[in-house]
Order: sequence, then C-alpha cells, then structure tokens
Amino acid sequence: MGAGDDREGAEAVGHEALAYADGLYNLARYLTKNESDAEDLVQETYGRALKSAAQFTPGTNLKAWLFRILRNAFVSHYRRERHNPITGGLDTVTPRLPVPEDIGRRRDSVEIDRLRKAAAEDIQRALMALSEEARTVILLDLEGLSETETADVIGCAVGTVKSRLSRARAALRQTLRDWEP
Amino acid sequence: MDCHDVLLVLLDYQQGRLAPEAHRHVRAHLDGCASCAHEDRLEHELTQALERRLPQYAAPLSLKRRLAAQWPVEPSPSEPPRSSLSQRSSLSQRSSLRRTSWLRSWMPAAAAAVIVLALAPLAWQRVLGPAGASPDAMVTEAVNDHVRLLQSERPFEIESGGIHQVIPWFAGRLDFAPTVRFPGDADFPLRGGAVGYFVDRKAATLVYGRRLHTLSVFVFRADGLPWPHSGLEKLGRLEVLRTAARGFNVLLWRDGELGFALVSDVDPRDLSLLASKLAGPA
Repeated sequence: MGAGDDREGAEAVGHEALAYADGLYNLARYLTKNESDAEDLVQETYGRALKSAAQFTPGTNLKAWLFRILRNAFVSHYRRERHNPITGGLDTVTPRLPVPEDIGRRRDSVEIDRLRKAAAEDIQRALMALSEEARTVILLDLEGLSETETADVIGCAVGTVKSRLSRARAALRQTLRDWEP
Repeated sequence: MDCHDVLLVLLDYQQGRLAPEAHRHVRAHLDGCASCAHEDRLEHELTQALERRLPQYAAPLSLKRRLAAQWPVEPSPSEPPRSSLSQRSSLSQRSSLRRTSWLRSWMPAAAAAVIVLALAPLAWQRVLGPAGASPDAMVTEAVNDHVRLLQSERPFEIESGGIHQVIPWFAGRLDFAPTVRFPGDADFPLRGGAVGYFVDRKAATLVYGRRLHTLSVFVFRADGLPWPHSGLEKLGRLEVLRTAARGFNVLLWRDGELGFALVSDVDPRDLSLLASKLAGPA
C-alpha cells in the first residue's frame, strides 16, 4: 500500500471520524470504568483506525467501523469477565409471558414507579452491574446503532444481538425494580 | 400474532423498525392485551430512563488535543524500556505505565499512517485549537455537531412537547440557562432538544424543522470563544456571521452572554428567518 492510498483513506475518514470521539469515549468509559483507561482506549481506537484508513470504503458505515475497532481494542487489552451469568452465552430469548392481569398491574405499577424515580446514579450503577457484553449492547443501542450494525461491532449474529439486548434490558429492569430507594 | 410473538418484537416496534403491516399487528395486539400493553409501558419507561438520565461522558478536550499533538512523536531512543500490558495484573496497578504502553501499542499504526498524521491533527486543531483559534473553527464545530445530529437515529433527548417542555428539561443539565423564546410555529416546528457540546463547553441543542429539512440551533456560553469582529451582517438587532461549509449554511451570533450557532441545508433566507424568530422582537 502506498502513501497515496494512505492519504486518500485518511481524507475519506479524517473529518467525519472526529465527530464520533464523544460517542466512542462514552462507550470506553462504561467499558473500562475509569477515565484514564477510557482515554487510552480511544487513542488506541484512532490509532488503529488510521492504520486501516485506506481499507475503509467511503460511504459505508464509519461509525460502526470505529465502534468495532474500539470494541476489538478493548477485548484485546482489557476484557476480563467472560462468564457473567447475565449473558453467559445464552443466545436465545425466553419471552416474558404475561401474568394474570391483576397481579401484573400491581407488579408493573411498582416497576414503573421505580423506573420513573430511578436517579442517574442508580441507572448507572445498574448498568455497570451488567456484564461487559450486556453493557455494550445496551450502549450501542442507545448510541443509535441498528441491530445489524451492533452485530457487526461485536461480531455475532443479528439474532444474538436481539437476544442479548432483550436479556440485558430485562436484567436492568430487575435491578432497578429491586432497588430500595 | 400472540403474546409470545409480540414480546419478541416489542423493542423493534417501539423503535419503529417493523414493517408497516407488522407494526399494525403489534399495535392491534397491544390494544387488546393488557398484559402486553403493560410490558410495552415498562420497556418504554426503561428506554426513557436510559436515554434521559444515564450519564453521558464527552471526550475530554485534553484527549482530543492529545490525539492531534502526540501522534507524530516517536519515542526517544534513550527512553527506558516499558513493561508490557500483559505483565500487569490489574488496571489499578497500571496507572504510571498505562499511557506509555498504550502509546507504544498504537505507535506503529501512527507511523504507518504518517500522511494521515499530517491531515487529521490539522482537522482537530481547526476545531479545537486553543490559541489562534478562529471563527472558522467554530463554524467547523457547528457543522460537525449538525452532521452528527443528522446521522443519529435518536437525535433528541427530549421530544418536543412545546418550548415549555423542552426548555425546562435543560434545567440541571447545563451550567447556564438557554434563553430561547421561539416556541416553533407551522413554518419552523420545534422537534426536540438534547444536551451536547460546542468546542469545550456544554450546549443546548434545539432542533427545528422546515418542511423535510432539519435546522440545528446550538446555544452555549459565549465567553472565551474566538468570535469574529469583522464581516458581520446586520440581522434585526443581531450581528451575525453568515457563512457556508461542507454544503451547509451557518449563522453564528452572540446575544448577551450566550452564543448561538444555527446550521442547516435550507435556503439562507430561511436560516435568517429562523434566526430572527429566535432573537425575538427588536
């Protein structure tokens, strides 16, 4: 690959890539759990992205590409937890079946009340209690990535993303519901 | 469609990812099934909690500057060797060595992309440059923020229920009061708002519509920014910088202690009209 290819790749990526620094840093903060490691992870991400800039196809999804690089960099250097029961490799969804209406209403009114009253730190604590994979799918969903894009970022099937997201949200809801204000 | 089917696609339904026919089927089921309707409400509440209250962390300015300033630096040959990441047992033990080891890990990438380094840092500096920053940097920042908003599938943290819902929503989320009195109208409906960043500070982002176009208004503290002193255009009681970048029309102006950046691909006359409405009566 020549310098000309590098230049063209960089020009294609350069300006737009900068716009995603905040989103990348936000995910990095929630993955690494501290400021310094998050900054290092974002630096690593841009370093890797620039190295591969010539391989990026202009017009394709730069945002998802950058998030995939960050995720891979994180896995390379930081990932420790692999057997958290919240994901635990279970990639199928058991839908929450309806419960009898009167019981359901009482339960749901409590849960809705808890969700509405949950403070920022409660939500953050509940999110941080999830496994890294569960946290990632929640945050990528919040970042606006589609399930297909998220599947590309974390390297799994779209159905797996759907099941992980559903399980992660169910775990979040349970944590917040059981929270004692 | 039964409860099982509906619960499987409930998030897709809420996020508008279903085909119209499937969307109608889910809607019909929810209308007739109290239990699934409760589940729908709970998932909606969780989404609201995450989107509106989960803390969001913006990349520190120092990080953005470091990306620009440090990339081309090669380690000195006399620099002592560092430990590798694999030799450390925990994140907490790495603090003194962390940055240099990471620097080493991506240094080959930087070296391989030396041409890139000549380009991207300049872009960062244009946006962020502390000293010598120019109004151009503010224009670039405004356009970048607008593009980011356009690319987001969920650009709003607060959907518009009117200016009296949107503006109070910012209370406690900003270190200033975003004084915007224009509630939107039939020509420029207020679509929603969000908290963002403009250069190095928090900003209130308000989004108005103009037919199918999106107009972003960023409101932020005006102090310490490289405001232009020449080339300004009189617009009612305002003095605005009118320019264009990357196909977008941009207006920048100060109004008291607040700064405003208005960006869109609409006709410049429409941009002026909205700016006048935002400024209020003379």
